[in-house]
Amino acid sequence: MKRWLKLAAGAAAITLATAGCAGSGGGDDASGSGGGQGSTLTVWLMTGSAPDSLTTALDKEFEAAHPGVKVDFQIQQWNGIQQKLTTALASDTPPDVIEVGNTQTPAFASQGVLADLSGDVQSLNGAQWLAGLKASGEYEGKTYGVPFYAASREVVYRKDMFEQAGITKPPASNQEWLDAIAKLKAKFGSDPEFQPLYLPGQNWYALLSFIWDNGGDIAKAEGPNFKSTLDSAGAKAGLDFYKQLVAASGTTAPKDNDEANPQQAGIYGGGKVAMFVGTPSELPTAAETDPGITAKTGAFPIPSRTAGKSAPVFLGGSNLVVPVNSKNTDLAKDYLKLLTSAKYMTQLAAAGAVPGTSTDVSALSKDPLGAVMAQTSKNGRAVPASPKWGEVESGQNPLKDMLTAYLTGKKNLDQATADANTALDKIIGG
Amino acid sequence: MTATKDALLPAGTTPPASARVGPAKRRWSAERITPYVLLLPAVAAVLVLLGWPTVQMLGISVRQLDLRELVTGKTVWVGLKNYTDVLTDPEFWTVAVRTVGFTALLVAATLLVALLIAVLMRHLNPVLRICVQVSLVLAWAVPVIATTTVFQWIFDQQYGILNKTLDRLGFHSFIGYSWFSTGTSTLVVIGLLVLWQAVPFVAFTLYAGLIGVPREQYEAAGIDGAGPWQTFRAVSWPAIRPILTMVTFLSVLWDFNMFGQVWAIRQGGPDGASTTLAILQYLKGIAGSHFGSAAAIATIMLVLLLAVTARYVQLLVRTKDGEIT
Repeated sequence: MKRWLKLAAGAAAITLATAGCAGSGGGDDASGSGGGQGSTLTVWLMTGSAPDSLTTALDKEFEAAHPGVKVDFQIQQWNGIQQKLTTALASDTPPDVIEVGNTQTPAFASQGVLADLSGDVQSLNGAQWLAGLKASGEYEGKTYGVPFYAASREVVYRKDMFEQAGITKPPASNQEWLDAIAKLKAKFGSDPEFQPLYLPGQNWYALLSFIWDNGGDIAKAEGPNFKSTLDSAGAKAGLDFYKQLVAASGTTAPKDNDEANPQQAGIYGGGKVAMFVGTPSELPTAAETDPGITAKTGAFPIPSRTAGKSAPVFLGGSNLVVPVNSKNTDLAKDYLKLLTSAKYMTQLAAAGAVPGTSTDVSALSKDPLGAVMAQTSKNGRAVPASPKWGEVESGQNPLKDMLTAYLTGKKNLDQATADANTALDKIIGG
Repeated sequence: MTATKDALLPAGTTPPASARVGPAKRRWSAERITPYVLLLPAVAAVLVLLGWPTVQMLGISVRQLDLRELVTGKTVWVGLKNYTDVLTDPEFWTVAVRTVGFTALLVAATLLVALLIAVLMRHLNPVLRICVQVSLVLAWAVPVIATTTVFQWIFDQQYGILNKTLDRLGFHSFIGYSWFSTGTSTLVVIGLLVLWQAVPFVAFTLYAGLIGVPREQYEAAGIDGAGPWQTFRAVSWPAIRPILTMVTFLSVLWDFNMFGQVWAIRQGGPDGASTTLAILQYLKGIAGSHFGSAAAIATIMLVLLLAVTARYVQLLVRTKDGEIT
């Protein structure tokens, strides 16, 4: 008896540590509780999505049109959002309107946790939805996500450095791009810290452009399933061009990390970098280091191997969804109607994003960096609309591992692409 | 003299035995129940906080519990499917072996360094000792993720102070050297990070054991002509052995289940080469909202831990009054 007690105590002590790992998934019972009297509409938007002036005006207008309804507006952080959304969606009183990253939307849609908005597409300005985002909000013929906004990568560059190096116009083909790198290197190369192009090893958004430009893709749909195609000739050509860029530039950026670690715009702000591949929203980070850099900065579309064209770009962005457990579905739809109206979409464009439900990008085009994005986003593409794609990004991304392995020379082109293909199939295939 | 004592002993044990034979009616007297009543809150807390999650974990591990089931509240039993899926994956075994090996090396290193520091503290003069103690407390008090960030910067490829220092010292090949390009090197950095955070607690605990040894024993050892090593073996070692066993056990638990540091450094990369079981559980289970698989891996981890620490549990059962030697 006593022996058993002690044994149990010992076992319990070990459980202490392990139980903590699993306990987080434990809250499964949907116990009925109160709340959701229809008087408060909870809205979750991500940090940096919409300017404060927009949301304040929007909430005010909505509350004025719906007497007695209060909008509880909350800003969420990207870090750990997947887990937070999982918990929120599983709860009995979830938020009523949520912004979800476009690559995460299929995962939630396929699990049946989002309200079907198919009947409301027309009233939500459906005719003008951004094509690249629209697809990510659809699952098995039904619409679950409303495009909110998008952004795409472009090449941000130092106009003054280009001028000094004798480059008269922005490169319009891969060859011209490599030539420009060579010219910049010839002009400023005596400074060992100078980098013509800052390109970290794991900027897989840039890689996507190169793969698509070479006629490749990440995966192809086979019925409801996906089969990864990273070992295709196009994907290999894209990966190889990435290496050519890194080699030509001699960039000292880490080969085993992405553009956010360290923040590439911060490095650009240091004044020793002539170009980087990023979004216009990164420029303010550079301006924190050097306020004068904004005036010296321009942008051009990611060049294509075909002269005169530009490469397809990855359209990153967000959709707006209504959880299926929401108690205020009708109010949520009204809120979406207001947010997707031309008035607020124009404000969004003016703030530097490609609007999701309006084809009017004139407000965005006023900014030189925004104008390039407005132009290239028409040729924007998305990652495979697989419900499992979220796992690729929240876990160990095979595309990143492939880049690092190939750039560091640990694997050759065939080996790196074959391994990544297998790894990706393990996640999204079948 | 001794013979009389021995003869008396059995007699000494008799009274309690006879008391037990006595009045059976008094079995439920307040005096007898009180200890159990006093134990009740602790037992209840253990059951609620540890027992219930464990039962839940076992229950979830034989279910399919994805986001859909979580939201709709449906229960889908899948039997041992989660377990067979995990155990037939060759990646799991690679990771399991890596985790056990990593934990063993880490615990050994932690104990060795902590023991050296504890012995050092005993021999330092008060001023220096307080300096060491304050440094240890500071290292210990910094939040895990903050320390992890500091380590990331130290080992940064371009801007890390380590590569710059090595370069200044003449090792020019370390300019732009990547410490995270292989799994082994990444695990070494993670190991150093964990060591940094784990040593203070263990060192203090061992030091507490060392100062519990009466000074006279050391003096006696000195008079008998024992050298430092002999003194340590004959006087210090017996005093800290039970404590050492306990901190070993605790360290095994902590290091085996460690997640934050490994994830923050490289998410188990490069190419999955620093993935431990805790990371695998996150990737397989939480990242894709497959909580059934996560629970199955957690259960397997629990079984593995029980196997690894079986010796400790055995000692715990064998000894009286929790005295472990």
